[in-house]
Amino acid sequence: MWSRKPVREEGTPREDATPSATGRDAAQPASRRAFLGRLGLGAVLVGLAGQVYVLLRSLFPNLLYERPERFKIGPPGQFSEGARFLEGERVFILRERNTFHAISAVCTHLGCTVKMERLNQVKKVQAGGREFEEQFEFRCPCHGSKYYGDGANYAGPAPKPLAHYRLEMSPDDGQLVVDMSQVTDRDFRLTV
Amino acid sequence: METKHSAWEKIRWTWQPASEREAGDSVVRNFLLHWFPAKVTRASLSWNYSFWLGTVSAILFTILTITGVVLMFLYVPSVERAYLSIKDLEYAVTFGWFIRGLHRISAHLMVAVVFLHMIRVFLTAAYRNTLAAGQNRPLNWIVGVLLLLATLLLSFTGYLLPWDQLAYWAITVGTNIASAAPVAGEPIRFLLLGGHTIDQSALIRFYVLHCFFLPLVVLLLFSYHMWRVRKDGGLACVDHLAISQKAVSTAPIRSKTYSLLGITSGSSVHVETALVAEDELTVQSSPNLTRRLLMVAMVTVAAAALLAFLVPAPLEEPANASVTPNPAKAPWYFLWLQELVTDTTFRIGGITINGALVGGVLLPALLVLWLVILPYVDSSPISTVGTWWAAERRKHSLIFLIVILAILVLTVVGTFMRGPYWNFYWPWETWPEMPRRF
Repeated sequence: MWSRKPVREEGTPREDATPSATGRDAAQPASRRAFLGRLGLGAVLVGLAGQVYVLLRSLFPNLLYERPERFKIGPPGQFSEGARFLEGERVFILRERNTFHAISAVCTHLGCTVKMERLNQVKKVQAGGREFEEQFEFRCPCHGSKYYGDGANYAGPAPKPLAHYRLEMSPDDGQLVVDMSQVTDRDFRLTV
Repeated sequence: METKHSAWEKIRWTWQPASEREAGDSVVRNFLLHWFPAKVTRASLSWNYSFWLGTVSAILFTILTITGVVLMFLYVPSVERAYLSIKDLEYAVTFGWFIRGLHRISAHLMVAVVFLHMIRVFLTAAYRNTLAAGQNRPLNWIVGVLLLLATLLLSFTGYLLPWDQLAYWAITVGTNIASAAPVAGEPIRFLLLGGHTIDQSALIRFYVLHCFFLPLVVLLLFSYHMWRVRKDGGLACVDHLAISQKAVSTAPIRSKTYSLLGITSGSSVHVETALVAEDELTVQSSPNLTRRLLMVAMVTVAAAALLAFLVPAPLEEPANASVTPNPAKAPWYFLWLQELVTDTTFRIGGITINGALVGGVLLPALLVLWLVILPYVDSSPISTVGTWWAAERRKHSLIFLIVILAILVLTVVGTFMRGPYWNFYWPWETWPEMPRRF
């Protein structure tokens, strides 16, 4: 162990030459050597912390090569009545006559891709203070969460409904555009 | 000691010493043996006290390191080629299937054996200090808990590398559990994946974690774990011998300059001699300990190799973000967690608490915390240390075994009773036909 005794320089006057009986080292003014020692240690620690920060920060990427969150999916005419699943984007595009809306296929529990289950007969559902008829539901293979056709969660561990994304018409070529950065409410419909 | 001439004789004498003197010398002089004490108690060599589970896990780790290095030469950590290189290993590389199978089965065995080792240490109260100075067994227990966690993380990062469906959905669920942690969750997920989506940057990160970072952590923790075992006076059954002997014998002699069993008093160059009557209860480590060690190593390698023959390592379809397998199951040792995150979403009034937070973060964190404080709150008498099923520790054992049993029950339910959409099915029920795609 290092000696904890304060080192006294030759000829340095000490303010409290007689240490108190209780030996309160902390109350004594630090000697120059002890002070410089702590300063040096502090500098080493700050330097190390800086290096650790540099190494860790480099692992948080500044530039991401990920697919854009807003993308074209083709002209509305390509979509027939009902649902179509866009595989790469993990989103369902639903068409009801001339209205469109987009529901995320990513389960809100832990991010698995939900599957659309077609119902054998039309089911009357009461959810969120509304009554509606549905022909399909969404179910998650990972932990068994269940969602109504409008994306509202009703069973299993999912904590909230499936996200609804904003749909737009591209002004240049009339294609449908999905904007996954903008979550809308479930009543959103794009009329074409 | 007589002079050894040939190189073979020089190697051989440490493993087959001709005298007590040579046996002691061999441990001091041989690099591979230096971490053993010169003498060990017969009790700690017994098969059915420790079941040699710690040794078995260290040997499994060695198998994993050796097969892992070979696999590193043959595997390409890129999203385009990872799956194909594993497929080549299975079908094109000579013995590739065996090396991969051995690596995989050893990893599964290591999870199981480290877990059993922990149960053994708890049930024999071997995480507690007794009479010898300088002991810190609770600290070594914590190091053991960290080693268990590192083992689980190694398995997790390992089964991601084939980049098949199992891998992809395990990263999805695993990193989403991490992101459910309060405050630090999202940055941790971002750091683990190197982005927001699961792609090349995620694969290379898990590869480096699996092949370098985590093995290094295990190696460092393991070295300290072994050093501590020596420092703490060997296995806890030695303490039991010492305690039961102390009741009748005289005070220990403080005369030796080093201790054969490694129990130091810590205050001076003189250290307390071993607490047990050495001549009756101990034998030379070389060859008694080394022989058993080699036997355990041989049996472990043989069992793992045999299992690698019998249990082929599966490879699912290539990773596909748009199709989650139905059901999507984690490997068996994580199925209790999968059950937990399924069953722990709570709705209190208008607030919903995600099962990812409760079952994926809070409950496991509590479980680890409980394990860490266990040795500090165990107030059973020290006479129980180093003994199986001590009557005074029945309550402790019962509580511990109930927790273990709960984990096992959840594992069994997850393994055998969950079908498509994670629905409950009895093992004898057939699962309904499910369409493969949307």
